[in-house]
Amino acid sequence: MTDRTTPVVRVTNLRKTYHGTTALDGVDLEVAEGEVVVILGPSGSGKSTLVRCIDQLEKIDGGAMYLDGELLGFAQRHGALRPLTDEQVAQQRRRMGMVFQQFNLFPHWTVLRNITEAAVAVHGFSREDARVRAETLLEKVGLPDKAQAHPRQLSGGQQQRVAIARAVATRPRVLLFDEPTSALDPELVDEVLGVIKDLARAGLTMIVVTHEMEFARQVADRCVFMVAGKVVEQNTTEEFFERPQSERLQRFLSRFTQSLTASRERELVKESQ
Amino acid sequence: MNPRLSAPVMSEEQGNSMTAPVSAEPHTRPRPEEFDVARARPRLRPARWIISVILLVLAAQFVNFVVTNERFAWDIVWGYLFYPTVLQGLAMSVFITIVGMTVGSLLGIALAAGHASDFWPVRIVCQAYVGVFRGIPPLVQLIFWFNLAYLLPEISVGIPFGPTFGSWSSTALISPLTAALIGLSLHEAAYMSEIIRSGLGAVDAGQRDAARAMGFTQWRTFSRIILPQAMRVIVPPTGNQFISLLKGTSLVSVIAMTDLLFSVQLIYNRTYQVVPLLLVACIWYLVVVSLLTFVQRRLERRYGKGQRRDEGATTSWRTTFLRGRASR
Repeated sequence: MTDRTTPVVRVTNLRKTYHGTTALDGVDLEVAEGEVVVILGPSGSGKSTLVRCIDQLEKIDGGAMYLDGELLGFAQRHGALRPLTDEQVAQQRRRMGMVFQQFNLFPHWTVLRNITEAAVAVHGFSREDARVRAETLLEKVGLPDKAQAHPRQLSGGQQQRVAIARAVATRPRVLLFDEPTSALDPELVDEVLGVIKDLARAGLTMIVVTHEMEFARQVADRCVFMVAGKVVEQNTTEEFFERPQSERLQRFLSRFTQSLTASRERELVKESQ
Repeated sequence: MNPRLSAPVMSEEQGNSMTAPVSAEPHTRPRPEEFDVARARPRLRPARWIISVILLVLAAQFVNFVVTNERFAWDIVWGYLFYPTVLQGLAMSVFITIVGMTVGSLLGIALAAGHASDFWPVRIVCQAYVGVFRGIPPLVQLIFWFNLAYLLPEISVGIPFGPTFGSWSSTALISPLTAALIGLSLHEAAYMSEIIRSGLGAVDAGQRDAARAMGFTQWRTFSRIILPQAMRVIVPPTGNQFISLLKGTSLVSVIAMTDLLFSVQLIYNRTYQVVPLLLVACIWYLVVVSLLTFVQRRLERRYGKGQRRDEGATTSWRTTFLRGRASR
């Protein structure tokens, strides 16, 4: 049912209000197989709400979302569009992975169980298969010796790397990141971004909400700029950073490029010495 | 004396000729730069010594009173402690407590879930239940259930406003035992619902998000993720409820239910040995409550797993009186 032209994720005219304030105001988005899309924008622009809606953690008010061409959250039944049952929604979520700002590891389970539980309990893998895969993943995220640790014994960066391993353990069609480094101490950000870069290189389809501009520039295939619940501009990463069209994005990028040129100058000075 | 302790001092002075080994002259006052708190003596705490003496005197007085006062009649207490009627009463009290707590907890979970429902009719009913059953004293509820036959002479099972399949007389159905079980269970459910609700509320919302994002259904999210974490908050007050229910079973003596209290009352009404027999009841209540407290502590430790990194710190007699050396 999916061919190369069907986007993995498609969002059309998505609308959502929170207690009367508009969070999403007609968002359109398409993410192709293997594509890494980074969503940027000032805080309160609806970036996080967008990925939370795609994972059906929030109810939407209008528009539609599709995963591999399949409508999310609703189905035609008895001549009308009706919400899916809890079980059906859970089925759809199983095909996606999500990484949260606050990691949200399960503190009452070991790292190993955090990673294997969904594979075993929901996807029907054997405990042994799940364990082997979890150990491979822990090695990939650089925590091979933490399988038996409890989440609270780990640093924030380590917890987030476990959370990423947990999200990819079930081989999702798309990986959603909701500000994965915003809750981390500055010196721990790079170890997490490094893991996400590795996944991007491995060809996973990803939607990443972040404030890390340099990361977006290095990893994204396409960048989306949101303001006040609307997509203001989207483009290939190079065009996005080099030739921003809207005045709003130019202003948003100016602060970042200033600090970037400053750091580049510093590097040049260092090289010349 | 201790090379490990004097080592940092040595290294600081970097082989200066001033650093004679401290152990050589233990009684000379060390120079300020030679202080090392590792050698500090415990702090003196005279107030604690005085309080200890007062407490000791009071305790001795109390023991003296209990032992020398013949009205306690310890031989009679001992004689009745394992008396069959008393043990049967104890068993009945424990039985009512266990049933009341089990039914109360299950019903309490359902009520707490109903309270969180997004379907308002269910929510209203659950709130109303808690309001009514928590608001009426358990003693009143017990007497009420015992006299249900007055309000409802027959209890029938059938289709509402339709045919009935079976019908029983309330007086036959509502014995003191059923009245006690119903009354205490329903009362307990109202309290357990509130306890469970606060426990569920204490679990971070992100946990629910993460579980659902992994494709867990609502039930699996609740049973595997939310409830186990809520237990940490639920267990301590539930232990209290268990204990207060055990003591609450003494209320059923008013509807002639032969619990522990009623059993000893039956005996002392015959023998007039009121105080010794009340002591028998006191001893058994304390024994069971101590056991329950022990189990509660075990459960608390179990569900606290993954929540804290430190071991439970205990205060030794030494640190009580003398402030010990800085622990590492």
